[in-house]
Amino acid sequence: MIRHMIVQNVLHRPLRTLITVIAVAVEVTLVIIVVGLTSGLLSESAKRIEGVGADIMVQPPSASVFMAFSGAPMPISIAGKLQELDFVQAVAPVLLQFNSVNGLDIVYGIDQESFRQVTGGFVFHSGHDLQDRNDILVDDVYSASKKTKVGQTLHILEHDFHVAGIVEHGKGARLFVMMPTLQEMAGAHDKASVFFIKCDRTDHTPAVMDQIRQLLPRYEIRPLKDFISLMTSSNLPGLGAFINTMIAIAVAIGFLVIFLSMYTTIIERTREIGVLKSLGASKIYIVRIILSETTLLCLAGVVSGVGLSFLTRTIFIKIFPTLTILISPQWILRAGLIAIVGGLLGASYPAWMASRKDPVEALAYE
Amino acid sequence: MEPILKTENLWKVYRTGKVDVPALRGVNVEILPGEFVSIMGPSGCGKSTMLHVIGGLAQATRGRVLLDGNDLTTMSDSARTLLRRHKVGFVFQRFNLLPTLDAHHNITLAQHIYGDGFDPHRFELVTNMLGLSERLHHKPSELSGGEQQRVALARAIITEPKIVLADEPTGNLDTKSSESVLGMLRQLNKDLGQTIVMITHNPDAAAYGHRILHMRDGMVVDGTSVH
Repeated sequence: MIRHMIVQNVLHRPLRTLITVIAVAVEVTLVIIVVGLTSGLLSESAKRIEGVGADIMVQPPSASVFMAFSGAPMPISIAGKLQELDFVQAVAPVLLQFNSVNGLDIVYGIDQESFRQVTGGFVFHSGHDLQDRNDILVDDVYSASKKTKVGQTLHILEHDFHVAGIVEHGKGARLFVMMPTLQEMAGAHDKASVFFIKCDRTDHTPAVMDQIRQLLPRYEIRPLKDFISLMTSSNLPGLGAFINTMIAIAVAIGFLVIFLSMYTTIIERTREIGVLKSLGASKIYIVRIILSETTLLCLAGVVSGVGLSFLTRTIFIKIFPTLTILISPQWILRAGLIAIVGGLLGASYPAWMASRKDPVEALAYE
Repeated sequence: MEPILKTENLWKVYRTGKVDVPALRGVNVEILPGEFVSIMGPSGCGKSTMLHVIGGLAQATRGRVLLDGNDLTTMSDSARTLLRRHKVGFVFQRFNLLPTLDAHHNITLAQHIYGDGFDPHRFELVTNMLGLSERLHHKPSELSGGEQQRVALARAIITEPKIVLADEPTGNLDTKSSESVLGMLRQLNKDLGQTIVMITHNPDAAAYGHRILHMRDGMVVDGTSVH
């Protein structure tokens, strides 16, 4: 009976129901996409770093796992010392610069030979390797998103580069230039941001890490096979707070919309509430009806929101092919629970109000 | 025989700003089981207030209301709600059906609130008696005034209340529908022994009861037997 009544009540005002469902859907989509975007970015970056093919990554003391935030404070001569260690096959120094012109990208300044020894070399889709100090290599994902072709001029880091080649993605960054060029542009002569180390055998990685710790005691030494697990929001300063803020905004949206929707519903159905009370409906019965309607609206909103999230992801990726948006079942569930709890909180005052209406006044309401 | 309803020196005073307005002034009434009593009086005499207080919708200011042996005046709001659920059926001038439910669900809503679930035998008895069998799947907006009032009547009696309180049940009906509804009230009283208290300002409608009580200025001033 109650289920039938609730469904009929929800269908009775289709426009209001639709708006409420859309608001909850937007709330759910906001949570899923914000979390998906941040975890997608982090995960995709981590995969590319792991794709370098190195076994160990050496960074300066207290460096962030998010390499672009660490600058370039290490002398490049460290590479030679690292090369002399037992079980070390190759060492590739890399200089990182963060480009914010025409997009947000990390540029790798590389020593081609050592980078090839560690990574196994680029796979070229077109063009050729870096030959000139103003040459740049772009990966295929960047090329597709920016419609970049071999021979074009690319304005990166306030400098015009010539696109020499388009390479397969997955080797750390999307943009590669010669290290001396980037060092000169960054004012970081003979400096590197990170050293990628390839061991002769993977099982020698711990032994090499021990040697490096003795050689460079305060430096950050990380095995790349665990890199993905380090790329979380808790490791990025402020990202956790940003995600929580976005979730709070989403909850506030849902709370306010449901509050308003249920509040106007109660006003409109004052006489009905009086009728229910005249029939002997208890306060709990009336609260139960209101909260059950709210739950139904929220559930419809959650389902719509999940669908909207996937649609949004599809659209975003079409427009920004370099973006990765991870939609996980855990966050779908969390977003749904957040929406339902927020909605029930929003409906609780209107429900309480309804339960306390004087039946005589309610029956006389016009 | 013990009265099913008894009021003793019943007062209901409304406070409007700084002014106290007595709607009921020392009403003493007894209604026996199986009686059909009409209450008549001009607008503002306290008829509806009387109905609300004896039905437990409003709390008396002074005096006592005994409904089937239960003193309403000492009860909390939730206790009165419980009593109303089990012992009182209401019929209103404006029908007060839920617009989103069809006739069937409007009637069974009372059973659901009562807590015993759907009783198909009682449902069939009541809907057949009131001539509603063919109209059960229509919403109130698809029913005539007379049909809506019959649905309201069915809802009021489906749980076998001790007393039915009808507030101007024919006030919004044409003559023919009024006669039909009043006839059904009389039939319920006669065939099922349903105790009925009906408020009306229409002398013809009032004559359907066994007894007519006249109210003026918050008091019962006269009572006459019809039969």
